[in-house]
Amino acid sequence: MKLQFSQVTKSFGDLSVIKQFDTTIETGEIVALVGPSGCGKSTLLHMVAGLQSASSGTLTAGGKSVSKPSPERTLVFQEHALYPWMTLIENVALALEFQNQPKQAARAEARKWLDRVKLTGFEEYYPHQVSGGMRQRCALARAFIARPQVLLLDEPFGALDALTRMTLQSVLKDLIEEERPTVVLVTHDVDEALYLADRVLVFSNRPAVVLKELTLGHIPKTHDLSAFADIRRDVLNLLGIDTDTTSTPVEQGETV
Amino acid sequence: MSTNQTTGVASKRAYVVAIAVILFFWQVAAWFLPDFLMPDVPAAFVRLWEEFNSPTFWEGLGNSMTRLGAGYGSAIVLGILIGLVGGTLNAVRSPLKAAIIILQSIPSIAWVPLFLILMGFGNLPIIVVVAIGAFFPTALSVMNATESVEKVHISAARVMGASKFQMLKRVYFPAVTPELITGAQLAFGNAWRALISAEMIVGFSAGLGKSLAYSGEIADMTGVMTNILVIAILAAVIDQVILERIKHRLLRYQYL
Repeated sequence: MKLQFSQVTKSFGDLSVIKQFDTTIETGEIVALVGPSGCGKSTLLHMVAGLQSASSGTLTAGGKSVSKPSPERTLVFQEHALYPWMTLIENVALALEFQNQPKQAARAEARKWLDRVKLTGFEEYYPHQVSGGMRQRCALARAFIARPQVLLLDEPFGALDALTRMTLQSVLKDLIEEERPTVVLVTHDVDEALYLADRVLVFSNRPAVVLKELTLGHIPKTHDLSAFADIRRDVLNLLGIDTDTTSTPVEQGETV
Repeated sequence: MSTNQTTGVASKRAYVVAIAVILFFWQVAAWFLPDFLMPDVPAAFVRLWEEFNSPTFWEGLGNSMTRLGAGYGSAIVLGILIGLVGGTLNAVRSPLKAAIIILQSIPSIAWVPLFLILMGFGNLPIIVVVAIGAFFPTALSVMNATESVEKVHISAARVMGASKFQMLKRVYFPAVTPELITGAQLAFGNAWRALISAEMIVGFSAGLGKSLAYSGEIADMTGVMTNILVIAILAAVIDQVILERIKHRLLRYQYL
């Protein structure tokens, strides 16, 4: 599903958050939005989800103006979005039950998806009984089960430790390759953006405008991002992180 | 789990000690006062045993429980509905909450004369007074809890395509259940007090309150103390056994 932003602007009262944002995201494209905290990237994502509306400008999904949430555009939150009163399988099945699928069928499908994110054996656990990484695996299963055409990810692994985060990025990458939704990923983590995305948009501080657009193309990638060292340095510089070797070096994998 | 068990045992021990102390002070009073003013503890228990074998006692108990069930039950159902609606509709929330705070400061027994004349001598005014006592704490706790349901839980349901009804049933209701139960336990105390006092005043057909008031009128102090004993035991059983059990069942996920 193609996403088109034209002159999208958002302000909360006097606070201007996004200023005249223009871009087209092609069907099946994977785009990462990178930028400083509180710059309005998440607001953009929530607009695509239909949870917020633009102050001015137009946003269309599949040629239709986005006015309210729809299961074809689903959102994965950073954390705490699973329902604590439901087991993992109930949480995943809920996405189908909300679309009026019968309980038994939804459960059977949820079991398959939990297996795909390697949570077999944890179906009947409650979210607080499993680790943060497992909760996000479950959140991915809950997002993918409804076969969305657009997958929106709002710093999905931001609350995880570095190693778990990389494992989850691989899980997500595999799911995206198999299901091929259009993906918009909001992240602080430059490496995450480079690893997952075909195109990276670097945002400025509030009000957010695009500082740079980097097209990587849909190419096979591993966590060894040394081939992208130049791009990575560019992005970090744009975000105000010093990469000059004569001053204090930036730690590998540090998030911005 | 282990902490729950130990606190469970500790609280049971606390109850045994408390009951022993209360009965001890009663017996001390009985030693100092003549029998026609304060009966011995064993005398009251002997009377209680006699009551258990009398059909009049069971008839009164049955009537009281029916009134309690009808009044408390309808108050809980209405309280949940009004609480959810008030909590989700911004327009009515503040005035509704203010109205509840004003009305709940009126002792429910004060409504007896009004409803007695409005509805006539019978079960209905007692049931309504019981319901009034139980309704306000239930509605208020549900409304407060509804307001503070986590935003991400609501957003997640919206992007999964939940309808309004599904949202209430699958998200709001389970999210407010912990506070609802606290409110319902508070409401039970109110309902119980309203029931006994309304029965004492109205005196319609057999009932625990009427039986107590009648014993007082004929200066049968053993009867008075026996009735108080029944009222205390019943309240403890309903609150500590039945309501606690329902609570553990509904909030099973919190105790794992």
